[in-house]
Amino acid sequence: MALLVVPACLLVLALLVGPMVLMFRISLEQFSPTELMIATVSPDNYVRAATDPYYQEVILSTLGVALLCTALTLVIAYPAAYWLARLQSGWKSLVVIATMFPLLVGNVVRAAGWMALFDRGGLVNQTLLAIGVIREPLALMYTPKAVVLGIIAVVLPYMILTISAVIESIPRDLEDAASNLGASAMRTFWRVILPLSAPGVAAGSILVFVLCMNTYATAVLLGGPRFKMMAPAVFDQFVRGNNWPMGATLAFMLLAVTMTFTVLGSVVFARRYRVR
Amino acid sequence: MARLSVERLTKRFGAAVAVDGLELAVREGELVALLGPSGCGKTTTLRMVAGFLPPTSGRVLFDDEDVTRLPAYRRSTGMVFQSYALFPHMTAAQNVGFGLEMRGLGAAERAAKVADVLKLVRLSHLADRLPRELSGGQQQRVALARALVINPKLFLLDEPLSNLDAKLRAEVRIEIRTLQQRLGLTTLLVTHDREEALTMADRLVVMESGRVRQIGTPKELYDEPADAFVADFVGRCNILPGRRESETHFRTEGGLLLPVAPAADEHKDATAFALRPERITIGFGADGEISGAVRAVTYLGPQTEVHVRVGDASFVVIRPTPGDDDRLASIKPDDIVSLVWDRRAPRLLPQIS
Repeated sequence: MALLVVPACLLVLALLVGPMVLMFRISLEQFSPTELMIATVSPDNYVRAATDPYYQEVILSTLGVALLCTALTLVIAYPAAYWLARLQSGWKSLVVIATMFPLLVGNVVRAAGWMALFDRGGLVNQTLLAIGVIREPLALMYTPKAVVLGIIAVVLPYMILTISAVIESIPRDLEDAASNLGASAMRTFWRVILPLSAPGVAAGSILVFVLCMNTYATAVLLGGPRFKMMAPAVFDQFVRGNNWPMGATLAFMLLAVTMTFTVLGSVVFARRYRVR
Repeated sequence: MARLSVERLTKRFGAAVAVDGLELAVREGELVALLGPSGCGKTTTLRMVAGFLPPTSGRVLFDDEDVTRLPAYRRSTGMVFQSYALFPHMTAAQNVGFGLEMRGLGAAERAAKVADVLKLVRLSHLADRLPRELSGGQQQRVALARALVINPKLFLLDEPLSNLDAKLRAEVRIEIRTLQQRLGLTTLLVTHDREEALTMADRLVVMESGRVRQIGTPKELYDEPADAFVADFVGRCNILPGRRESETHFRTEGGLLLPVAPAADEHKDATAFALRPERITIGFGADGEISGAVRAVTYLGPQTEVHVRVGDASFVVIRPTPGDDDRLASIKPDDIVSLVWDRRAPRLLPQIS
């Protein structure tokens, strides 16, 4: 039986663990504009990334955007997930497909579409200008708000489908029982549905948080040149700056922050809701 | 405890009629069972009484209060669900205390009431267990306690015994009935199990296709069923279609002449002969009015079931299992026997009233 996991393990070893070990090694080396990097073992890059105000800001804004997006996505997704889980019509499988549909559209294609719509010269601004609602084009794009909205639109299906799967496993009888015992719909939600769907909320939030932390295309295309998140910053170091050690360092810092918050969140959550 | 009245209650799902003009009254302290095959509308009726489902038309009253438009959480009924529907994330005590909490009782008062009712169902020692750490029977008692502790106006039981094994079922049946009588609970029980209904209920409502077929005490329904469906549903019954031939005989569709008595209250469309299997005795040889060959003999412990082929009809006879010196004990397939019954035992019934 153990043989069954061999292919998966080999793939992960070759394509994930291998490169990570290599990257970690590179992150300890020293950058040189002429020789690419000089072989040493030093934590200098980490110290610099952690103390440099620029990187601090990138990390904090990435974390802020990810936490905000996760929270907003949760609030927007939960009612939809509940509705979907309790939907009994024959249309249900169609609704599930419709929910997943946004995942079929590539992030770049989608973001490019938004640019056509919301750019200074985009359809929305042109229309508003033409009918005289505004005199100056609105700055709809290249703002943190645009990035947050853009990310939410991308990750929403993950949250909805994850939570909905868990709510579906909560017997309806429990809602009837709560109501029978005198609980209004609101109290039934807080005392029965939410605690029992906690595993779905946890799984969905972690999934979405990780996706948000690693956002690349949406951040670049909707955030514009001045708004920086970690994944584009890593890319910049590797490709534009040719600074592999710093790129690797930032990548590991992103990983560390993501993991810290994921683990922290899971522990707090597990304690609150006794998720097993 | 309150009286329950249900007036012309109807529920349609699209074109399908689940419950059709149901009339029902449950007196204070009475246990009434809704009995019928699956899809007969009994569960739909219970859900409308509990408030989980809005009726298409008709009214539900607790005492004289019209609760038809009242949401479930304001009706104060105590329901035991078929699945028990215990909250899996709460202990037995928390489950039982939930209803009290929703009524705004303080922690101390709540704890006292929970302890009392857990004692009543003999679960005090398991108060801190989660439902999944309890056996089926224990979960069932938590569900009972949870429904009782809120002092409901009406006690509702939805197939409460169907998830228990046969032996436990018989015990719990008596336990619930005893509790119900001692506390004087006005109770509506939904079941498809006739034995459950016959042994627990003061009165039975036999339902079919969303309509009431007959309401009566268990004995009334068993001895004086209104139609062939009720006769068959409340107990084993030999039912043969045909017509009354004369004052003294019924002719089946297969041409058999069966002895019956004239009856003043007989339905004019009586087209079925109904005879309980325990009302037939077996004689040996073909010298009786009705005789045929034994097809099977089934030993059931205290009783023995004999299947006899008469013409194209098949009769089931149930007799107390005979002692070894009884001639009946040696009966075997292909023996020729005659069937005898009191002329007043069969009833001639309409197929559908």
